[in-house]
Amino acid sequence: MWGAVTSRAAPAAPPGLPEPALTLDTSGLLCPIPIVRTAAAVKGLEEGAVLLVIATDAGIATDMPMWCRATRHEHLATFRDGASWKSYLRKRGRAAAR
Amino acid sequence: MAKRGKAIGMISGGLDSTLALAMVKAQGVEVKAITFYTGFCITETQRRKGGRSDGTMPQNEALRAAAEQETDIEFVDISGEKYLEMILNPRYGYGANANPCVDCRIFMMKKARDIMEAQGADFVFTGEVLGQRPKSQRRDTLQVVERESGLAGRLVRPLSARLLAPSIPEQEGLLDRSKLGAISGRGRLPQIAMAREIGLTEYPQPAGGCCFLTDESFSRKFFHILGQKEAAGEPRAIEQDEIVLLTTGRHFALGKTVKLIVGRNEVENGTLQTYAGGHARLLATQVTGPVGLVVGTPTWEERRLAAAIIARYGKGREVGQVEIEWRDPDGAVELLGVAPLADEVQLEAMRI
Repeated sequence: MWGAVTSRAAPAAPPGLPEPALTLDTSGLLCPIPIVRTAAAVKGLEEGAVLLVIATDAGIATDMPMWCRATRHEHLATFRDGASWKSYLRKRGRAAAR
Repeated sequence: MAKRGKAIGMISGGLDSTLALAMVKAQGVEVKAITFYTGFCITETQRRKGGRSDGTMPQNEALRAAAEQETDIEFVDISGEKYLEMILNPRYGYGANANPCVDCRIFMMKKARDIMEAQGADFVFTGEVLGQRPKSQRRDTLQVVERESGLAGRLVRPLSARLLAPSIPEQEGLLDRSKLGAISGRGRLPQIAMAREIGLTEYPQPAGGCCFLTDESFSRKFFHILGQKEAAGEPRAIEQDEIVLLTTGRHFALGKTVKLIVGRNEVENGTLQTYAGGHARLLATQVTGPVGLVVGTPTWEERRLAAAIIARYGKGREVGQVEIEWRDPDGAVELLGVAPLADEVQLEAMRI
């Protein structure tokens, strides 16, 4: 089949994920726009609030953990959910983000 | 106690900017990293196509570098109209391809200066190396970029700093000049040694950068579409949707003002379907084959030629006659029965 996309092993959803305060759907958007939108969405959240990001760009699986590590937000999980990816993160305060 | 400075680091995630970030942070300077989204990113296109041919998904190197050094990073989207205008009319001209590197650096550094001022930072730094690139990193060009960006004295190139005039942050004691680099030229051995010394293990191999404007094949298509518009009496302009099409499929010039784009795989066929608006779309009706988009207003002969090319790239290649559906932008459909184009010389002569 032409251009068949090689599927990669994806982590499963861990149990007990918290209820997100906000869900951001970035479906159809590609690197780096999902992260650009994530950064903007996190700014509007309270410290400790959870953001759920839905994406179709499989690169989110590497981008989101790296972005959380760089910005000191807590990366909770990123996993495939059907044709999409879901990524959970918890906002850290400015003091922790330094 | 010495004042702790704050800097804006322009990071691509390549070895040089990763090292520059490490050098500035090692001097106790607080760094906010920024990386620019131009819309000409090769990584983005590889992701759109489902990853590399080996099945791996390219990672964002700027994010990787910032994560490795635990540095706050912001993506700055400059892919709008003003950036496209700059690319079409670069004051300092193009490099070997469609890359207006000097103008692009000035454009980015003006943005970095705005961010520096908004953040109350003291200076901007980059991973540029004196003499590494033939046009954009010559000594005189580095000075032009610094002056035109409005960053005079506040733009630091840590890897080559000791070969350049002392910057304001060095004079103010925010940076210790003796701990900055004196690297010049195209070789990478000093950088590799430095990376080893400070324990940096992950960095991408140099591969011509992440920008389509430096790509020869993309450049041909870029300048062709501009010429095509000129021939059709249209303004010299380009839009973001057109850039997506320039990175997708095989391109054939059917005439001076008409072009055919042929999908090379399922993902590209999907992209062409998504961006079909305003263009005629071609598809074989009875055999598997690629999606084709026609840009421009074709003559009757050009329509037949486009259909013959689509037939040639599908499973009907070995068949005498293939039925091609021609769907106009307004939804009107015509069925064309054509023989697949067999003349490879003719085909190659049309390839952009």
